[in-house]
Amino acid sequence: MSPRPRLDHLRKPQIVAAAAEVIYERGLLDTRIGDIAERAGTSSATILYYFESKDRLLEEAVDRADREWYARLSERLAGCANAAEKLIRLVEETSRGQGQFGDWTLWMEIWVRARRDPVVRACYPRLDRRQRALIAEIVREGQRAGEFSRAADADDVALDLSALMDGLGIQVTLGQPDVSRRRMVRRCLTMASLALGCELERSRAPRVPA
Amino acid sequence: MSAQPSPLPGPPERPAAERPARARQRILAAAVERIAGDGIDEVRIARIATDAGVSSALVHYHFATREALLAEALEYSYGAVGDARTNVEGPARSHAQRLAQMVDQCLPTRPELERDWILWVELWLRAVRHPELRPVAEELYARMRDWFAAEIRAGVAAGEFARCDPDEVADRALALIDGFGIRTLIGDGAMPLERARRSVGAALARELDVGEQLPFE
Repeated sequence: MSPRPRLDHLRKPQIVAAAAEVIYERGLLDTRIGDIAERAGTSSATILYYFESKDRLLEEAVDRADREWYARLSERLAGCANAAEKLIRLVEETSRGQGQFGDWTLWMEIWVRARRDPVVRACYPRLDRRQRALIAEIVREGQRAGEFSRAADADDVALDLSALMDGLGIQVTLGQPDVSRRRMVRRCLTMASLALGCELERSRAPRVPA
Repeated sequence: MSAQPSPLPGPPERPAAERPARARQRILAAAVERIAGDGIDEVRIARIATDAGVSSALVHYHFATREALLAEALEYSYGAVGDARTNVEGPARSHAQRLAQMVDQCLPTRPELERDWILWVELWLRAVRHPELRPVAEELYARMRDWFAAEIRAGVAAGEFARCDPDEVADRALALIDGFGIRTLIGDGAMPLERARRSVGAALARELDVGEQLPFE
């Protein structure tokens, strides 16, 4: 009767999107399946049909937000003239927060949950590696083109930059007074410049709100 | 800060004025353990009370909300570790050596540091939705930053480190430590503690122009 695959195709993304919103607003612990159901315009039973638990929903929500972010980022990077520009662009986009939420809240939910749920625990490194792989790719491109020092280890730079972005992202999310997004970008570019033996400066056209 | 009432007769090592303070400390010590184990949302106040040998009512009396309990537990934990932090003993060390020690004190290199870390992560998340916790985070960060900046400043003055903005370098170091600390804590197989130390050390060494790496012990 009703073509199940088509419904899956429609329903799951809707549920995941709703889950992301509600979890972002209320926190995983204070989110009930019913809240997500209401937001998604469906029933709790339907949600539980597709997803075992809130933890699975959190994981999917972050995974989806991340994938969409990467898709958009890749498009924007394709428009960059060289590796240096790509790296700058990546840092700037990251400073705006990944996904539609503009900050690191969902990541923080993952970090806390990871201590108690082994599947969530496994999802974080997977997402982390995705980001690091992209950065490493850009670094290698720049090294081949002679923009970046070949003495740098692309994977190390990627790891360092990811760690720095997370650390600063926390500060930005908590509204710490002297860590604006612009400051975050500057700090990241300073570190990257040192590591890659070049001068990376923020784009002239302000893409990043203070 | 608070006036000391004259001590009542009692065993010399525990004057009466200290008893409420001791109970509070026991509660905080218990809270640190339980929150690190169960998380601030799920921890049972009754368990903390039992561990501390007090009533739940007393816990609620001292700490009206979970936020207050978390904030004070973190302060307590930070302070307890902090004594070890600021107590850098041993033979005269270079500023680079001291900095390496400080990095070790900030990464989850020991069980009590790991507990401290877990509380930090809980605080971050809680502070997102409870803005009254943000000044707590801010204050603790400021202390850590000043601690690092002072050492960096001293190193620059001694000619050991390259000229730089000590506050900026300190901020970057702390952010790097946070990012690596998370990866270590979550137990990603690819991020052992040793790698975290090396990466933070190398980044600092580069910034301060002391070679490839800080002299870790």
